[in-house]
Amino acid sequence: MNLTINIVLYFVAITIAFLGIMLLVAFTVLAERRVLAFLQGRVGPNRVGYGGVLQPFADFIKTMMKEDLNPAQTTKFIFFLAPMIAVITAIMSILIYPFGPPITIPFFGTVPLVIARFDVALLYVLGITSVGVYGIALAGWSSNNKYSLMGGLRSSAQMISYELSLGLSLVGVILMAGTLDIYSIVEQQSGWFGFHWNIFYQPLGFIIYLISAIAETNRVPFDLPEAETELVAGFHTEYSSIKFLLFFNAEYINMITVSMLATTLFLGGWQGPLVNQFPLLGVFYFFIKVLFFLFLYIWLRGTLPRFRFDQLMSFGWKFLMPVAILNIVLTATIVAYWPVLLAKLGLR
Amino acid sequence: MLALLFIIFAGLAVGCAVAVVAQRNPLYSAVSLIGVFVALACLYVMLAAPFIAAVQVIVYAGAIMVLVVFVIMLLNVEEEERRRPRLRFLVPTAVVMAAILVAETSFIMYSVRFSPFTPTDNISNTGITSQIGTGLFTRYLLPFEITSILLLMAIVGAMTLARRSLRLSPTARILPGAQVLARDVLTRGSPEDLTAIEADSSVEAARVLGVEPPIKREDLE
Amino acid sequence: MNLAPQLWWYLALSAVLFTIGVVGVIIKRNVIAMFMCIELMLNAVNLTFVAFSSFFQDVSGQLFVFIVMTVAAAEAAVGLGIIIMIFRNRESLDVDDASILKL
Repeated sequence: MNLTINIVLYFVAITIAFLGIMLLVAFTVLAERRVLAFLQGRVGPNRVGYGGVLQPFADFIKTMMKEDLNPAQTTKFIFFLAPMIAVITAIMSILIYPFGPPITIPFFGTVPLVIARFDVALLYVLGITSVGVYGIALAGWSSNNKYSLMGGLRSSAQMISYELSLGLSLVGVILMAGTLDIYSIVEQQSGWFGFHWNIFYQPLGFIIYLISAIAETNRVPFDLPEAETELVAGFHTEYSSIKFLLFFNAEYINMITVSMLATTLFLGGWQGPLVNQFPLLGVFYFFIKVLFFLFLYIWLRGTLPRFRFDQLMSFGWKFLMPVAILNIVLTATIVAYWPVLLAKLGLR
Repeated sequence: MLALLFIIFAGLAVGCAVAVVAQRNPLYSAVSLIGVFVALACLYVMLAAPFIAAVQVIVYAGAIMVLVVFVIMLLNVEEEERRRPRLRFLVPTAVVMAAILVAETSFIMYSVRFSPFTPTDNISNTGITSQIGTGLFTRYLLPFEITSILLLMAIVGAMTLARRSLRLSPTARILPGAQVLARDVLTRGSPEDLTAIEADSSVEAARVLGVEPPIKREDLE
Repeated sequence: MNLAPQLWWYLALSAVLFTIGVVGVIIKRNVIAMFMCIELMLNAVNLTFVAFSSFFQDVSGQLFVFIVMTVAAAEAAVGLGIIIMIFRNRESLDVDDASILKL
């Protein structure tokens, strides 16, 4: 009986989080078009609904009505499987993020606002990101089209290269927190009027993480594999209707997920003023920080030109990874010798 | 409940494993193998080993199989054709020997059917990250260091194999001790080409060793 | 049902996976498919190690799994490099074509 209640509660939590993320994706699609338009001196879609708010839903209905083309190839199952892998691995990451402090619902008890809290949460996120490469590689291969294959291989090579510096940049945060559990890392960033956030302790790690995250999600300036002037549309050239929508969704959910990881690990998650008195303010702060990162993504898209592919790869391997390892060495040295240093200075 | 989960994950693992062997297209085999790895990761979580489960997904499903899938795409591997007639009894023989292997292992498993602990009643603390870190850096430090040297050897080996060859001319002399890979010396022939391949360093080797130089075949005629 | 998986369930699954791997290595003719069946055998052994580590409350099993995974990764990198070299010289990934010790 207890088990059934637990399972039902998990399903309710997953449904609420899933619907929230889908709404956020729709909002991000709209925001990207509007903000990009303002950056470029035009207005963007504002006809459908007030200020264009219903535009993503109109796009969704239009794309669903299109014909579902399947090119003639021998690997039909993989053509069908690739967008599913992309979207499933994109959305599996929201399990571990705490959206707010524990809130007390009357007649129910204290509810921690996280779907699942377990010991190896950060490794789980890295594993899910690693499996997400398959969606793109298999899509490029099974489309039976040389532009798709080139785009797919380039995109997956880029993703596996920047996955390394992504993971290494998080090791600094793990060393300081002493745990892989994201909930504990957020809780440890409380106090000192916000100056205990990890961005002040790990500025280099934050910058490396940001650059690696932008490269992981195939956004400008690292979006050569899907730029229209380069490779038609990259790995999703041959996809139409619902499958294309799944890839499109997967890209935006990936953006949102890495933004959530950045806010929980570096910007203190749901921490902010007056959170202890009004716990629901924590959810509000969390989403404000995630929206800040999304705005940063869109801002970079409107501003920067894109890297050439060999520049991209040499930047990832020859510059970013050694700097990430340097960050780990510095952090480990300071964490290990901090008590000794304090004792020498006579403070402990 | 746990038994049901075990049956689901074990069925998934065995089904994907049979698909790895039965599929003729190697890309389908690779995708099925990824399914096996994910199912095994779920089983590791059930066995209270979350760190090993996460490392399994990151290393096996996320790195090794990406390498295999890239190689399959690079080499453009097609499906296997029908087996040649002289190996007609290979599949039945393999199945019979597999049955014998399963029988032998069942005998061993029957001997260990009682174990002191079942990881469902208590919360098992064996597999959490701090325990693994402690063990890895105190009691098993030497295997850890040797493994890192092994990885260094693998990196050097992979870089050597991927190096571009020197494009030697057919009459180039190779002195003993020269930094030349064997594949740069041997010419690329078809498998039916059975002409002898010479590395042409015999004269220098004789001079170094202080013996008479070998008589070339052309000098005899 | 309140039944929990016993140790021998995991060992039986590991034996079945190992046997399927062995059958695959014997049957398959594609070099990459044989390599994948070897990885399957390594994973079956990993499952045995983790099962014993969990049922006997000893962390050594999981540490050995860690080392087996590292060795498998190193072997994958070098092995696939060798396979690519063989393919460049022979234009064929069939093991029966490489059965004579002649390049």
